[in-house]
Amino acid sequence: MNKHVLEFKNVWKTYHMGDGLVNALSGLDLTLDEGSFTAVMGPSGSGKSTFLHVAGILDTPTMGLFRINGEETINLSMKEQARLRRNEIGFIFQRFNLLSQLTSLENVMLPMIGKDLEKVKEVLDKMGLEDKYHKRPTQLSGGELQRVAIARALVNDPSIILADEPTGELDTANANSIMQILQDLNRNNGVSIVVVTHNPASASFADEIVHMSDGKIVQKDSK
Amino acid sequence: MSYLKLILKNPFRNKTRGLLAIVGIAIGIMVIVALGMVTGGLKASTTSTLKAGAAEVSVMQTGAGNYGSGRINESRVTDLLNISGVKETAGMLRATNTSTSGSSTTDVSGTSAETGTASTGSSPGSFAGFSVTGMDPDKLSLAGIENIDGALYSNESANEVIIGKTASTNLDKSVGDTINLFGRDFTITGVYETGSFITDAGAFMSLSTLQNLTNNDNQVSNIAVKIDENANATQVGKAIETEYPNELSTTTAASMASRMNSALNTIDTANWAISLLAIIIGGVGVVNTMVMSVFERTREIGVLKAVGWKEKRILGMILGESVVLTLIAAVIGTVLAVIGVVIILSVYFGGTIEPSFAPDIFIRAFIVAFVVGIIGGLYPAYRASQLSPTEALRYE
Repeated sequence: MNKHVLEFKNVWKTYHMGDGLVNALSGLDLTLDEGSFTAVMGPSGSGKSTFLHVAGILDTPTMGLFRINGEETINLSMKEQARLRRNEIGFIFQRFNLLSQLTSLENVMLPMIGKDLEKVKEVLDKMGLEDKYHKRPTQLSGGELQRVAIARALVNDPSIILADEPTGELDTANANSIMQILQDLNRNNGVSIVVVTHNPASASFADEIVHMSDGKIVQKDSK
Repeated sequence: MSYLKLILKNPFRNKTRGLLAIVGIAIGIMVIVALGMVTGGLKASTTSTLKAGAAEVSVMQTGAGNYGSGRINESRVTDLLNISGVKETAGMLRATNTSTSGSSTTDVSGTSAETGTASTGSSPGSFAGFSVTGMDPDKLSLAGIENIDGALYSNESANEVIIGKTASTNLDKSVGDTINLFGRDFTITGVYETGSFITDAGAFMSLSTLQNLTNNDNQVSNIAVKIDENANATQVGKAIETEYPNELSTTTAASMASRMNSALNTIDTANWAISLLAIIIGGVGVVNTMVMSVFERTREIGVLKAVGWKEKRILGMILGESVVLTLIAAVIGTVLAVIGVVIILSVYFGGTIEPSFAPDIFIRAFIVAFVVGIIGGLYPAYRASQLSPTEALRYE
C-alpha cells in the first residue's frame, strides 16, 4: 500500500465575511500518495488556494481531518507547524516571492537554519543557475526567478512541493521549462508535487488532474 | 547570507525612513552625551577643589561677595592666626591682566574659597582677561597647588611666575618662556595643575610683586585659612566674622563645592529627564518606522513563514532591525556630541572646562539607545510574528 503524503477527510474551511459565513472548503476528500504529481484546476473561488494553504499548514481546517505524511496538524503548536513547513514542504508561488535585497544564494538559504552553502549551490546548479549565485531578483528573468524559487523550495529536501500557479507569470517556453523541471523532480527524485493552475498545458505535465468547484473535488482525471 | 546580515540590511531598504529615524534618536543621544560630558567635567573640577592641604575657609571683605572686589588690610593675615581653630593663613591678591600689549588695568577682586583665583575667560593666545594671583610661594598648598612641573617663583623675585596647565596650553607657553603681564616680562618657572578649571587657567606670582604692580600695597583681596585638624570650618568662619564684624566675611570650600554640586546634580537630573524623553520620543519614532516597515513587508513575512520561519525568528529579526537603527543612532549621536563638546569648550571656554570622558556617560547613552530599540521594536515585531501567513501572502 502506498504511503499517503496528504490526506483530506471531510475538510471544511469556513470564513466570516460580513455578517455571513463562506465555506472555502466544503467537505473536501482527497488522498495523495507519496511520489504523486497532481494538478488542481478549477474556476476562481473554487477553493484551490485554500486547499493549498491547508495542505501547506499555512491555514488550519475549521473541521475535518488533515494529515501530512501521516501526521495530524490541527493540534500542532505554531513552532511544530513551522518545523513541518520547513522540513516537509516546499512552496512555489506565482509571483516568485523572492526577497529583493538578497542574492539567489541568499534567497535559497532562507529556509535553512544552519548554513550549508554547498547544498544551496547544488540545488541552484540543478536549476541551471550556476552563474547566477550572486544575482539579485532584479537582475534575473522570469524563468530564472521561478527556478530560484524552486531551488528555495527544494533546499531542505521536502517530501512535497506545493506550487500555486507557478507558470502564471511566465511565457509559454519558460512555463514549459518550469513544468518540465517539476516533472523531473517528481520522476527522478520522488518528490510529491501539487500544482494549482488555470493552465491546461501546465496541468498536462501532472499524472493526475483534480478539478475543484465550490470547495469540493468534483472530478479526477488520471493519465 | 545570514540572519544577522538580513537584520543589518533591512533597516536601510527604505533609506530615507531609516535615516530619519536615526536622526531623531541621534539628537536625543547627542544631548545625553554632551550634557554628561560637560557636567562630568565640572563635577571633577569641583571635587578637586576639596583636595587635602587646600584652605578650608576663604575670607573676604564684607559685602564683596564670593568673588568680590573687596580689599582687606594685609595685617589681618597674621591677626587671624589668633582665632581659635586657625592653623595657617595666606594673603592673596587677584588681578586681571586686561591687554595683550602689556599695559594693564588693575582689577582687584575677591577670590574663591578654593584658590582665590578666577579666570574671566581668556581666549587661546590672548593675555586679555588673564587672571593672576599674588601669593607667597610657600603658601601655595593653600591654593591647592601641590605639584609643579618646573620650579616655584621665589618670593623676592619680581619677574617670575607660574602658570596653570590650561593657561599653558591656551597661551602656548611653557617653563622658560616669557610672558608679559601688567607691562612687565615674567619668566615662567613652572606649570601647575590642580584639576580646578578656574585655577588652572590662571597664574601665580609673588604677592608683593603683584601688590606693587597693581598699586595695592599692604592690601589683599582674600585670605586663605587652613584650619586645625579637629576644627570645624563653619565654626572657624563664624568666629572670624564675630571677631571682625562688618569687616570680614567667610565662606567654606565645602559649602561652595556643595552649592556647585547641587547645581550640577540638578543638571544631572535634567539629563536623566532628557534620557527619559529621548526614550519616549525616540521610541515613538522607532515604532512608527518599524510599523511602516512591517506593513510594507507583510507579503515577505508571509513568505518567511511559508518557508518555515518560526514566530520567534521573525520577532527577533524585527527587534534586531529596531536595535540596529538605534545603535547606529547612538554611535552617530555620541560622535557628534564628543566633537561638539570638545569644539565648544575649546573655542568658547578657552579650554578652561575639561570635558569628562567617563565610560558611564557613553554606557548610559548606549543603554538608552538599546532600550529605545527594544521598546520601539516590540510592538511591530510582535505584530509581524503574529501575522496570519495566508493573509500575509495575499497582501498586495
